[in-house]
Amino acid sequence: MMRRWRWAALAAAVVLAALLPWIGSPTLVQFGITTLLLATLAQSWNIIGGYAGYASFGNSVFYGLGSYGTAIAMVQFDLPFGVGLIAGAALAVLFALLLGLPVLRLRGHYFAIATLAMALAVTGIVSNLDIAGRNIGLVLPLLKGDALFYELSLGLLVLTTTTVAWISHSRFGFGLIAIREDEEAAAVMGVNTTLFKLAAFALAGFFSALAGGIHAYWITFIDPASAFDISLNVKMIIMAIFGGPGSIFGPVLGAFLLAGISEVLSTEISTFASLFFGLVIVLAVVFMPRGLVDLLRRYRQSGWRYFRENIRAHRL
Amino acid sequence: MLLLQILSNGVMLGGLYALMALGLALVWGVLNIVNLAHGAFIMLGAYAAYYFYSRLGVDPFVALPLCMAALFVLGYVLQRYVLNLIVRAPMFNTLLITFGVDVVLTYLAQIAFSADFRAISPAYSGTSFAIGSTTVPLVRAAACAVALTLTLGLWLLLAHTRLGRSIRACAQNLVAARLHGIEPRTIYALTFGLGAALAGAAGDLYGIVSQFNPYIGDPLTAKSFAICIIGGLDNPLGVVVGGLFLGVLESLTAVYIGSTYTDVASFSVLVLVLILRPRGLLGKTA
Repeated sequence: MMRRWRWAALAAAVVLAALLPWIGSPTLVQFGITTLLLATLAQSWNIIGGYAGYASFGNSVFYGLGSYGTAIAMVQFDLPFGVGLIAGAALAVLFALLLGLPVLRLRGHYFAIATLAMALAVTGIVSNLDIAGRNIGLVLPLLKGDALFYELSLGLLVLTTTTVAWISHSRFGFGLIAIREDEEAAAVMGVNTTLFKLAAFALAGFFSALAGGIHAYWITFIDPASAFDISLNVKMIIMAIFGGPGSIFGPVLGAFLLAGISEVLSTEISTFASLFFGLVIVLAVVFMPRGLVDLLRRYRQSGWRYFRENIRAHRL
Repeated sequence: MLLLQILSNGVMLGGLYALMALGLALVWGVLNIVNLAHGAFIMLGAYAAYYFYSRLGVDPFVALPLCMAALFVLGYVLQRYVLNLIVRAPMFNTLLITFGVDVVLTYLAQIAFSADFRAISPAYSGTSFAIGSTTVPLVRAAACAVALTLTLGLWLLLAHTRLGRSIRACAQNLVAARLHGIEPRTIYALTFGLGAALAGAAGDLYGIVSQFNPYIGDPLTAKSFAICIIGGLDNPLGVVVGGLFLGVLESLTAVYIGSTYTDVASFSVLVLVLILRPRGLLGKTA
């Protein structure tokens, strides 16, 4: 019974969110689009980083490939937006499969850095390609209509979250969690670890690329520095971890909260917004390393002791 | 002859790169923390040298120990009272917290020092000397020499002193180290402080050879990473090899392929090394 109520509340929240373009101001809608896209990125990072435990620091490369795939298809080949989105996503998935095979053999820090290096190398290559407009970038056809992009972004986030919800109850998801907890043991239990990791990486790439494609058409101009923005990686990871990695709604919650806070702060006192962001990260890692979802679940039982237990578990 | 000049430039650059990466490698190898704030430490070192020079008139080479001491204190306090709280947490939590520190330091620096580019230019900064037909800028050669000396110093410290042995003991086995009367909290703090001090020295030298502002940190962290991976974490010599390798590689790509490709080249090599020799060029095969 509780369960059914929860789903009803969730559906109501989505419907309410979908109505925002008719209620909210244009600025709010624009803020909504960026937040929804960031939440999608955090959620897709959750698949590879949260469930499989492979902390990718290069997921921005998928976002960038999605942006560029869409832009190149639309600008250089005059294809419609839908085809462009598919082209961008296909490019990202292909890239994830090709690069994932060698890179997913690495673990821990090495995997994190290899993915970061991969993102940096691709940025360099794209900014030297004629078809991608080199350093200057590409200008996409203009389409006025923030409401449309808002609904698209919301749809994408719902799709990504539904996929994650499915993953968390599926054989695939259990396999990923097994890999996160102990990869050798998972392999011994008959999990095809290479296949599972590749699939998770490709799925993360797919959704990130769609977010990139939508963003490219919305903003109508992309260049290597903005499309492959390295700081996006950090943003999506922080949002996912702040909310709760390896949970269904944690990354979305984290994204909404952090985006909201930094938006409010940057309109009030812009220099201190980033400073505050840094402090929040430090405090969050010390006091609630398993994220908001875990905090909400366990705070009820242990109260203030929750924070002390966290520190006690991880200090030297 | 052009090739010789390029190689010499690359080696000069590489010596400094090695020093930049040394502190990161030390902390990574012993504490298993990849310190994303390392570049910010380098940036702070550069500002320390700048203020010693512009306010007090201390020559940047003389100010080197002062910069190191200042950064040592910062690193010690940070590790002792903040990072020690989460050392045993999962790996990306330690990554994240150092990123948070990086953001805080960068923006504090921006508030304190403004975002303008600064440079330390003592009277001798323009002079250079010639070996055969290659020209070597004096400052770069001196910076490279200092960098290599400090690397040697760290190696001697780790190999032959009581502190060095304690640090290596903590890296190998914490429980066993405790049983021998080593207090890991202090050793961890000292090690992190040492890493920060090396970053401070690198920052001082960086400030002499190049311009800087509060945002130079992140690319320098990325570069230091690359060097650690290429050289391997097993000993300081690996970092020197990694630094020189990256310096020469960058100089060669800049001239023969194009300066826009330097990052592509260095990060492609990084990915290749990770895949083919994950323990570094000098490391034992995994």
